[in-house]
Amino acid sequence: MTATAERTTAAPPRTEEPRARRRPPAVGDALLGIWGIVGLLFLFFPVLVIVAYSFNTGRQLQSWQGFGLDSYANAFNNPTIVATIQVSLAAAAGSAVVSTILGSFAGVALARRGGRWTGWLVALLGLAMVTPEIVNAVSLLPWFVTLGADWGLSIFNLGQVRLVIAHSLFACAVVTFIVRARMAGLNESLEEAAADLGAPPIQRFWTITFPLMRPAVISGALLSFTLSLDNTVLSSFVSVAGSTPWPVYVFASLRSTLRPEIAAMSTVMLLLTLVALALVAIVLSRASKKTGDGSSLAQTLAGG
Amino acid sequence: MTSVATAPPAAAPPTPEPPRAKRRFTGSVGFLAVPIAVWLVFFFIVPFGLILWYSFGEKPSLYVTHSNDVLSLARYVEALDPAFLTTFWRTTQIAITGTALCVLIGFPMAYWMAVKLSPRARGLVVALVLVPYWTNFLVRTIGWQITLSPEGFLSDFLNGIGLLNGPLQVLYTQQAVQLGVVYNYLPLMILPLYVALERMDHKLLEASRDLGGNWWSSFWRVTIPLALPGILAGMLLVFVPLMGDYITPSVLGGASGSMVGQMVAGQFQRAQNWALGSAMAIVLMLAILLVVIAFGVLFRLIGIALRRFRHLGDLDTTGAIR
Repeated sequence: MTATAERTTAAPPRTEEPRARRRPPAVGDALLGIWGIVGLLFLFFPVLVIVAYSFNTGRQLQSWQGFGLDSYANAFNNPTIVATIQVSLAAAAGSAVVSTILGSFAGVALARRGGRWTGWLVALLGLAMVTPEIVNAVSLLPWFVTLGADWGLSIFNLGQVRLVIAHSLFACAVVTFIVRARMAGLNESLEEAAADLGAPPIQRFWTITFPLMRPAVISGALLSFTLSLDNTVLSSFVSVAGSTPWPVYVFASLRSTLRPEIAAMSTVMLLLTLVALALVAIVLSRASKKTGDGSSLAQTLAGG
Repeated sequence: MTSVATAPPAAAPPTPEPPRAKRRFTGSVGFLAVPIAVWLVFFFIVPFGLILWYSFGEKPSLYVTHSNDVLSLARYVEALDPAFLTTFWRTTQIAITGTALCVLIGFPMAYWMAVKLSPRARGLVVALVLVPYWTNFLVRTIGWQITLSPEGFLSDFLNGIGLLNGPLQVLYTQQAVQLGVVYNYLPLMILPLYVALERMDHKLLEASRDLGGNWWSSFWRVTIPLALPGILAGMLLVFVPLMGDYITPSVLGGASGSMVGQMVAGQFQRAQNWALGSAMAIVLMLAILLVVIAFGVLFRLIGIALRRFRHLGDLDTTGAIR
């Protein structure tokens, strides 16, 4: 008796739901799903090729000889490769520090204060983001030569300094927009409350503002680090002999012979990147649990 | 009586104070934008000005990269020679086709991710889209080089199943570059589209269906207008770096698939003719700006047309969208 009564009350929504769902054709949904999965496979395909060919024991990357770990041993025993990785990591760290500091400050300023200058700054940052790398690269090279050779500012002759500056241009704009997006979504009242309670500006920043913007700062720093590791065009123009970063080394060996060591080292770097990403995802999910708002890695990276 | 007398003076000060406190706080952060502005002016604007200046000069002799003793527009005339224009036209073709293909491939993917997947799966798939993006751009392109090479495994496979007779002749052609750029820039299209579609209020779609719209009209009148900012952002993010791409054609293009970026780079690295290289870079930059502005105008017109269409239609969702 009660069962039938329940059934009658439960019945209307159940019949209504399928009808609403029947409208978009199920075939369409299945096709969309297939399309999405094939798209993901497409995105992963060359990465999987590189990982597979990193186990190639042949002398040339492209021609498969046999399966083995030789290339990994060779890569780590090759002082040139190890040196280029060190250059890349140092440049990436430097670029991440510079871009994160510049970008975080600018992001806070843009989110918290409107004015005529914000339009100009956004235009400048946008321009830095839409200028093709090749144009940036060919304009930075003569500028560094002018600064270093003609004006005698020898710091601009250092390969590392050049790499950090070149890589930071795009990255600091990215960090600015990520931090601005985060700050724009936050209420200013917390900071005002701290100010009303007499907290000096620096304390207010470290105890209120910074913890709020931390997820954006972390993902901004991570993005600038990986953007720098990835950068080939700017690096191949501004780098000087003795501080060749990893992508420039790979690019140069493209003209001679590609060895499986390159695939092996790339696989190692991919694994390291994944570990770093996982760590950041954990940090961010903890932060979001603490503050109670959803800011997953994906969300933050997608723009706050 | 006393309460009436004391209340106004007590209530009055707080009203003018919050704006003052706000101004005090926000006024102190404006200076934080100064470092980045100085940094970008010094390392972005000034260098650009420098090559603009060089582009009016010349290469005086074999061992000197540039000289501005005589100013002329001769380098621009030299830059716009048939060889450059051919490459430029090919670059534009590759860039426009590539951007269009990225929209066509990326939109259903982003739609699937944002609308069809559960929120939990969404985060995972976004991460999956990003993982390949964090492998070095150059190395991923080399992955395609291995795949497409005439002696590669794909060639063997296609021969094995009888789809192909003889080695695969794709590497070092314009098609290879086209594939490479679509691959390399696809995540830059998917992400803004995903963000735009994910923010979309799904109730609008339901409303449009309840009001009698079929799938097709809901798609064109609700989904597309709402996704338009994402489409525009994605097209910008794909088209601009694609026009200046120098890595993909170097790895996959060979002589028949070369792009403008390589010509600019060649003037600086091999020919050591900074004046001509600068002029080429300025031409490239101007062309990109022109196309971007044209895109912007076109999309504004499309937006206006869509809005008008929606007003005329029986399905009025504009109130909800606004």
